[in-house]
Amino acid sequence: MILSNRNIVHLDLDTFFVSVERLVNPSLAGRPVIIGGMSDRGVVATCSYEARKFGVSSAMPMKMARMLCRDAIFIRGDMELYSRYSHLVTEIIAERAPVFEKASVDEHYLDVTGMDRFFGVQKWCHELRQAIIQNTGLPISLGLSVNKTVSKIATGEAKPNGELQVPGDIVQPFLFPLSIRKIPGIGDKTYHLLRSMGVSTIGTLSHIPQEMMERVMGKNGIILWERANGIDTTPVQPYTESKSVSTETTFEQDTTDIIRMKEILVRMVEKLAFSLREQQKLTSCVTVRIRYSNFDTHTIQQQLPYTAFDHILIPVVKNLFDKVYQRRMLIRLIGVRFSKLVPGNQQINMFENSEEMINLYQAMDRMKHKYGDKVVGRAVASS
Amino acid sequence: MKFIISSSLLLKSLQAIQGVINASNTLPILDDFLFDLKDSELTITSSDLETTMSVTIKPDKAEEPGSIAVPAKILVETLKTFGEIPVSFTMNESNLNVELSAGDGKYKLAGHKSDEYPKTPALENATSLELNGSVLSNAINKTIFATGNDELRMVLSGVFCELSSDDITFVATDAHKLVRYKRTDAHSEESASFVLPKKPLNILKGVLASQETPVKIEYNRTNAFFTFGNITLVCRLIDGKYPNYDAVIPKDNPNKLTIDRMSLLTSIRRVSIFANQSTHQIRFKISGKELILSAEDIDFAKESKDRLTCNYEGDDLEIGFNSKFLLEMLNNIDTEEVLIEMSAPNRAGILTPVGNENKDEDILMLVMPVMLNK
Repeated sequence: MILSNRNIVHLDLDTFFVSVERLVNPSLAGRPVIIGGMSDRGVVATCSYEARKFGVSSAMPMKMARMLCRDAIFIRGDMELYSRYSHLVTEIIAERAPVFEKASVDEHYLDVTGMDRFFGVQKWCHELRQAIIQNTGLPISLGLSVNKTVSKIATGEAKPNGELQVPGDIVQPFLFPLSIRKIPGIGDKTYHLLRSMGVSTIGTLSHIPQEMMERVMGKNGIILWERANGIDTTPVQPYTESKSVSTETTFEQDTTDIIRMKEILVRMVEKLAFSLREQQKLTSCVTVRIRYSNFDTHTIQQQLPYTAFDHILIPVVKNLFDKVYQRRMLIRLIGVRFSKLVPGNQQINMFENSEEMINLYQAMDRMKHKYGDKVVGRAVASS
Repeated sequence: MKFIISSSLLLKSLQAIQGVINASNTLPILDDFLFDLKDSELTITSSDLETTMSVTIKPDKAEEPGSIAVPAKILVETLKTFGEIPVSFTMNESNLNVELSAGDGKYKLAGHKSDEYPKTPALENATSLELNGSVLSNAINKTIFATGNDELRMVLSGVFCELSSDDITFVATDAHKLVRYKRTDAHSEESASFVLPKKPLNILKGVLASQETPVKIEYNRTNAFFTFGNITLVCRLIDGKYPNYDAVIPKDNPNKLTIDRMSLLTSIRRVSIFANQSTHQIRFKISGKELILSAEDIDFAKESKDRLTCNYEGDDLEIGFNSKFLLEMLNNIDTEEVLIEMSAPNRAGILTPVGNENKDEDILMLVMPVMLNK
């Protein structure tokens, strides 16, 4: 691979969680919004630009955020909702980009090297960004440069809702006047260490001899020195979506009927485990999710050896439900998710799975395959 | 206490029992060897509370009997640097100073009080039998790979020993694969059974490998004692009921596949490279004189198929296995050909060596398939 002439794009959704909340509830637009743990011990996950004016920043304790910006709207956050929107964005990128990496829920790197032979890279990026904005309604910023580090820094400079191209020949003039804070990977500790050495801009950092950086900070020092000089050879790692199957039910009337809810959970497991077996997949992570009548949503998960057997999954799901249902409050929604899926068939256990049991599974699966998954099931869940 | 001993003899003895000592211990005393000098014989002991191992050697010169615990790691590391030279030890039980001098060098370290060292379990109400060292190490070698790692089912993490007047049987299983290793040339006067933990067996395997010596095995309800040469090993037995393994071995297996072991092994190894790397599943499709092995990983668009000629009696069959299990089993069989007996895609496959030269040895391996969609 030619490393010197790459075109790497970094796409970052602006205040992603806040933007999603604003889509769902437009009255939040233009007002300070803070998302994070609701208890005093919780921390700020993200906050809108309006809230940042008051000095609120992410990872700050919620209590401090409340003091700084008393009139802000505080939201607990719904990861499920955010990952759905994140997935939408990923889909749009996957449709157009040759190679891309999903670095986090709101960040993507794209390698578009070579595409300028056919399209103007900048034009192509601009169109991609516009497509995302139009299709999802989420503001997104874009940086285009020669490697991941410079692209990410460029995105930071382009925010909010902008785009910035830094061609190879102006990488250093672009980086040098910026604060060392802008380099990804410099946290509080490194920042203070470098400041105590009298380094405040990337330009100064880049002039420190490499050996000295290594002596002060070890291997990390060399990486930082390279970053400061605009050198970064890490490739864009192609991304494979981690797959899962899930289902959920919102009750017509909120309920506290535990017996009834457990019956529903059994039915959900039967349905999902059957679909796993149909697709010849196994799961190793089970998640149970409940939403109380006040829309507080709680999830809990557990890892287990690869399986697609109902009789192994049902007790796990029931147990997780008992653990997550803590408050004596009405429930409006329950859901089950099986994730960390791998392709494969159920390994038979010589002591626990009798031949009759395996035959029963196969006979029931054949019936479900032919007549639909509701045709046969456990009596406990049939009501 | 004082003694003079050859450095290589001491090092060899320490290395034989060092396997018992864990890399990190909650009790600092478990990082030590216990040195005990009595009647001009030196007994050195290592322990992890579950397993205790000791070796007895005769120093060239010894005076003042006594006992003291000495840090194991530093001692072994020091001895490794010496060539074959006499080393003289002076160990002071009151101030716990340990001094060794070899050649022109002098080395000092601090020991610990011997009464803090865990006591070796006493041999009470024990029954005994004798086994050839190579038979025992072979039995361990052939079974230990099939033991489980599930902490919730401790009993499956060990090797089950079943003694009778006709034979001795060793069984290991993790509920997905099973090995039954039977010796008809060894027997016990009394019928008994117990489960030996994995760690002491691995240590025994290592120490016995080079020895043809007879091993005296004594056991009671809680412990097993192994004595051979100048070494004794005591281990706690795993408590619990071993599952009825005999019931899961299918008796009626009409489909019989006889095949060259090495070509099957290499083919599985090759085909499984293309299988999913979490589940390692491969498929056997057998019809006529042909075995087709296949694997796929849809997520990475990988696929493989290989064909082998074999000797097959029975109906056409399609069955899925975890390739890792098959590889482990085939690697632990020594004969040129193997026989795989099967009945149905949902039932266990049985692997046995064909034409085993050792008539006293009876090996049976069993592997559970995966549930294929019909």
